[in-house]
Amino acid sequence: MSNKDCNRSIAAALTAATCTLLGTSAVEPVQAQEEPGWDFNTALLYYGEDNDRVQDLSLNILSRRVFVDDRYLSLGLTVDALTGATPNGALPQSVPQTFTQPSGRRTYTTTPGEFPIDDTFRDSRVAVTAAWEQPLGRLFAINIGASASSEFDYTHLGLNAKISRDFNKRNTTVSAGLAFAQDELDPVGGAVMGLTQMPVAVDDDDDGDGDGRNRGPAEDKDVLDVVFGVTQVVSRNLLMQFNYSYSDSSGYLNDPYKILSVVDGTSGDPVPIAQVPGVDGPSHLYLFEHRPDSREKHSLYTQGKYYMDGKVLDLSYRYMTDDWEIDSHTVDLRLRWPLGSRSYLEPHLRFYTQTAAEFYRMSLIDGDPLPEYASADYRLGDFDAMTAGLKYGWKTSGGNDMSVRLELYQQSGNVSPDQLIGNQVGRDNYPDLNAVIFQFGYQFGK
Amino acid sequence: MGADRPGRSIRVSRGDGCWRGQFLAMASPCEVLCEIDTADEARRLTELVAAEAWRIEDKFSRYLPANIINRINEANGKPVEVDPETSQLIDFSTTLHEISAGRFDITSGVLRRVWHFDGSDNIPTKTAVRKVMEQVGWGRVTWDSPLLHMPPGMEIDLGGIGKEYAVDRVATMLREATTASCLVNFGGDLVAVRKPCLRNAWKVGVEAVHASNTNAEKLLNLQVGALATSGDARRFLIRDGVRYSHILDPKTGWPVPDAPRSITVAADTCTQAGMFSTLAMLEGARAEAFLDVQEVRYWCYRGNDPGGRKIGVVT
Repeated sequence: MSNKDCNRSIAAALTAATCTLLGTSAVEPVQAQEEPGWDFNTALLYYGEDNDRVQDLSLNILSRRVFVDDRYLSLGLTVDALTGATPNGALPQSVPQTFTQPSGRRTYTTTPGEFPIDDTFRDSRVAVTAAWEQPLGRLFAINIGASASSEFDYTHLGLNAKISRDFNKRNTTVSAGLAFAQDELDPVGGAVMGLTQMPVAVDDDDDGDGDGRNRGPAEDKDVLDVVFGVTQVVSRNLLMQFNYSYSDSSGYLNDPYKILSVVDGTSGDPVPIAQVPGVDGPSHLYLFEHRPDSREKHSLYTQGKYYMDGKVLDLSYRYMTDDWEIDSHTVDLRLRWPLGSRSYLEPHLRFYTQTAAEFYRMSLIDGDPLPEYASADYRLGDFDAMTAGLKYGWKTSGGNDMSVRLELYQQSGNVSPDQLIGNQVGRDNYPDLNAVIFQFGYQFGK
Repeated sequence: MGADRPGRSIRVSRGDGCWRGQFLAMASPCEVLCEIDTADEARRLTELVAAEAWRIEDKFSRYLPANIINRINEANGKPVEVDPETSQLIDFSTTLHEISAGRFDITSGVLRRVWHFDGSDNIPTKTAVRKVMEQVGWGRVTWDSPLLHMPPGMEIDLGGIGKEYAVDRVATMLREATTASCLVNFGGDLVAVRKPCLRNAWKVGVEAVHASNTNAEKLLNLQVGALATSGDARRFLIRDGVRYSHILDPKTGWPVPDAPRSITVAADTCTQAGMFSTLAMLEGARAEAFLDVQEVRYWCYRGNDPGGRKIGVVT
């Protein structure tokens, strides 16, 4: 037998040889596991976008307890503190622009030539997860879990379940999973109705919901996810995974803080609105975005892990397509390179590209009939993104794992020239994004 | 017969919810724990276990005179006809030699003539290693069961599988001799026969013994099946800051680079567990990757400071 033969033939040959040697074939399968104890995986992550945009400091704790008979309980806690600002969707202009805050009570004004950003964004988020995993008989395993998160204007509740079965001497694992989430949005100032005009600021009452004309109560969003997967041991060096997943979201899918500029059909400049003396309000005409109330996504994912002389190459690809006409491709590459037996370096590269949603547009044209749906959210546009990073991990003298990771993220949009009108040509119309990610990780037992 | 040798005696004592029988065999402390009620029954089972352990030691130890290993190693180029049990062990070793691409080799014991793992800096010369390697290689041996024909100067040593084989043999005997749950532990190679009734699982301590005395103990629960450990971090050589493990690669005659200090593997039988841990050791830096693909449960220890790993039964 040559060295190239699969490891699984080693296990099979060893089993056969042992049976012959001992003359026994039917011994009970081994049951051995670590004494129940907690393992903790903790991480502190900083994510910071340039130009004073979003900053997130996130603490993540995942703990897992092993019980006898291969049963596991996992509990997770994530706390995020977010500050900063995101582009609100309006186009940059050569004149100052004034917007009403989401609360509807005050206004903010942006500098000419810069992307209008709503800098009142500030939030904290707490998320918890719990999961239970156990074998069902010799070949099946199930995993059930629940998740919940809460932030100022958003609550999430989710349930998930997964069943898997081993085949082919455990070289093949087939799994099916189902997840359901019910989210509630209760935006500052109420959930806006799509394609209605940004109102003037009114601060005459203390209920904080602005003038309320175009605002509804809290809105719901339901998400159903289904995943089918196959994991295959291909050879002694190669492990492959294939997944198909389907996701169906329905309900209120708008981002209540995103708007579109209404522009003149010839100049491409936003349409100013007459200011009423003594009333604070938007300087130009802006409409809140409006998205369809359902979204269906299909994605295919494949991953290969290749072991070569202590190094591990991890390459994955994901294709996603949805009925908003967004198609995306993601390629992710990691190489774990051991430095001696106690530390490693792991370079990471990720490429992402997506097409724009069919209702994505830079602006709306004054006088044209309103489209059914429209959004200028840069996350729904046509863009490419790249992540490059390096992770260094080491074992502490107590046998625990520590790691530091530094990554740079760059996102740049592609705006097709036929979307641009008049003065928009030559302006920077897509808010490109650079971000830095720094993570410190610590894993320890009990 | 075997019990007549000096130092061969058994001791039976009451444990927590079990009886414990202890004796020495194969240069290791051996014990058997049984969930039974009487000292007499404990003595009967321990005698059975010890007799088999001593029989295997007498028959296959390369340190004892006038056994089959001795006859083979002293044959000086003449073919030797072996009995069926020896034949089966040689067949098994041949299979291991094949599936490990030559890295498991029962003729590699002669490397000990030049390698003395005593914690010193006594590294043999390349010439000395090359010279002794002329006597290593299962491929040079003609094995046509039951005839073994080995060139003069070569030796075989079944020490790499003897203890695990003995544990499994004893487990088979205990399955017939009693209906109680028993745990057999021959110097850290273990088998649990039947799930225990009086406890959730047999508790096995796997302790990383650091020189700094900061012990990180892992407690394993063994309900049924086997655990075997390879590696002994107290056996090594250091020169010029390079640490040479005592895991020798029979293909080079030199220690396997980046071998873990110890690997404990769980498997249905002790022989399988022992062979998985031995083969993983021979993989050196990729020991964990090798075991990951095998999908066996293992505990790998790579400590930095000189120290060892102690395997002991807690209850």
